[in-house]
Amino acid sequence: MTGVRVPVRQLALRSGVGILLGMLLILLALPLLSVLLRVTPATLIDRLHQPVVIQALKLSLIASAAATLVVVLLGLPAAYLLATRRFPGKRVVEVLVDLPMVLPPTVAGFALLLAFGRAGLAGHVLHWFGVSLPFTTLGVVVAQVFMAIPFFISPARAGLASVERRYLDAASTLRASEAYTFFHVMLPLSLPSLLAGTAMAWARALGEFGATITFAGNLPGVTQTMPLAVYVEMQNDLDSAVALSVLLLVMSFTLLVGLRYAPGGLFWKADASGDAR
Amino acid sequence: MLQATLARRQGGFELEVELEVEAGRTLVLVGESGSGKTTLLRLLAGLATPKQGRIELGGETWFDSAGGLQLPASGRSLGYVTQDYALFPHLTVQQNVAFGLRAQGLGASLSRERARESLAQLGVEELAPRRPADLSGGQQQRVALARALVLEPRLLLLDEPLSALDLQTRRTIRAELRRILTTRSCVTVYVTHSPLEAMAFGEQIAVMESGRITQIGSRDDLLRHPRSRYVAEFMGVNLFQGRIVSRDATGMARVKTVEGELSVVDPGGEAEVYVAVNPREIALFLEPPTGSAQNLFSGPVTELLPEPPNGERVRVSLGTHPPLVAEVTRQAVGALGLREGLLVHAAFKATGITTYR
Repeated sequence: MTGVRVPVRQLALRSGVGILLGMLLILLALPLLSVLLRVTPATLIDRLHQPVVIQALKLSLIASAAATLVVVLLGLPAAYLLATRRFPGKRVVEVLVDLPMVLPPTVAGFALLLAFGRAGLAGHVLHWFGVSLPFTTLGVVVAQVFMAIPFFISPARAGLASVERRYLDAASTLRASEAYTFFHVMLPLSLPSLLAGTAMAWARALGEFGATITFAGNLPGVTQTMPLAVYVEMQNDLDSAVALSVLLLVMSFTLLVGLRYAPGGLFWKADASGDAR
Repeated sequence: MLQATLARRQGGFELEVELEVEAGRTLVLVGESGSGKTTLLRLLAGLATPKQGRIELGGETWFDSAGGLQLPASGRSLGYVTQDYALFPHLTVQQNVAFGLRAQGLGASLSRERARESLAQLGVEELAPRRPADLSGGQQQRVALARALVLEPRLLLLDEPLSALDLQTRRTIRAELRRILTTRSCVTVYVTHSPLEAMAFGEQIAVMESGRITQIGSRDDLLRHPRSRYVAEFMGVNLFQGRIVSRDATGMARVKTVEGELSVVDPGGEAEVYVAVNPREIALFLEPPTGSAQNLFSGPVTELLPEPPNGERVRVSLGTHPPLVAEVTRQAVGALGLREGLLVHAAFKATGITTYR
């Protein structure tokens, strides 16, 4: 055989990298497989009919959808300003917006409790209006918004900033106002990033645990979302915990694939940059 | 009528320009890349802000540094076709053309109709449902023009509108563009780096050099009376600046330039003059001629450059004092055996020279 001789050192490097990659894949995939293979489909379907599962599912869907809506509503203007403007204190806003990403969720929940709890600064005012956040579904939504918002703003801002100057200039010479340009040029051109951000935020809200349990508690049907139910059922009925986990896994996976990777080619041809050159 | 006085400084680049263009007329702005042509357009469009100056269009003030007035681009009645067209990639051709109308609040069906009309005027109505990415350069150019013209702008800015096109398309569209512009009453500022295009297009040509307009005039003006080496090189004429040092009774004069002396027909008047020598007036010889040419220079051939379109004529650069460029036929090149480094004698009559102030 006259095969090409690969130098020993290169061979070692290659196999080293291969082994590391293998370890990473095992670390990521093995737990997922364990959840999926833990129970038979029949048990799974049976457990999905458990009231605790259905309650948690319903609550999680409603709360995370509401939270995602609020995230986009609050995050989009912020992302736009951060992408297009310079203003005093911009750095402070940037840090503040990114903070929840690195903050331990329990600390975030505790901080929320201190601010919006009965005795808290804003809680006082809210109470006066008859609104109470801790240990309510609304509190779940607030905790999820707090934790999820950076996951939207970051890609949204990058997407909006990447819309080429020439398109914005063209819009303004075509007498479009800033608002018209935003909705008809910037938004559609950065849609893939915006949807990716929305998906990330939604997934984050869906999986939120620490801030929710600290701020909103663990009341079945009121504040017990799916991740909380998984934790409770682990000590209670393992099969129900598995069923909830499988459900969460499927939902997160669908969100990730559906919103993050699909939209690129969905709205216009990916190569349609409009370049003449 | 467009009247603009603009000054801007950015980094080391300074722009200082004064312009006046009648309604319905086209000003061709010609200059090298980096001379500030695009910057000037962006200032006129309101996409960049002058340090000081004033822009007025038909009695409407768009910018006035003294009064602190600055109309944003979206508030100016203008069309701006950039070099890369910048068609919106997510919209169809029709939506692109209708964009400005929709932005102003015109209804959907009326906008569609007007967009179709505008596309039809440019002969590309059938492109309406397509996306910009599916169009050729020439088609994109027409769509961009339709998109600008549909708003019936009072000022039309065209930045190298033909540069991205192949030569064939360029000629067709140039003719079309000229036809379209003559039917419009707007002021057009047309930017190009190509003197050929400037000549083909402009009744009024402004030459821009490092942020300033160094000459403005008709194409004949520019051809006959270039006032800078740069313009002259553009127009392909030999230009010298000098002063008359002697005059004689026969109406002849000697002009001394930095590079050497020339015999010219005495233009009279002041001593400071420009001297333009048409390269075709220069004859080349291997032996010193004995004829009636009053200007005779000797030097080596430094470059031979066949002229478009077919190389029938050849530009011959000479290392004479002053340096000259002659234009001769291909046959003459063959007959004389011209090649780089060959010593030749260049002769031209005083009557073949244009002298002006």
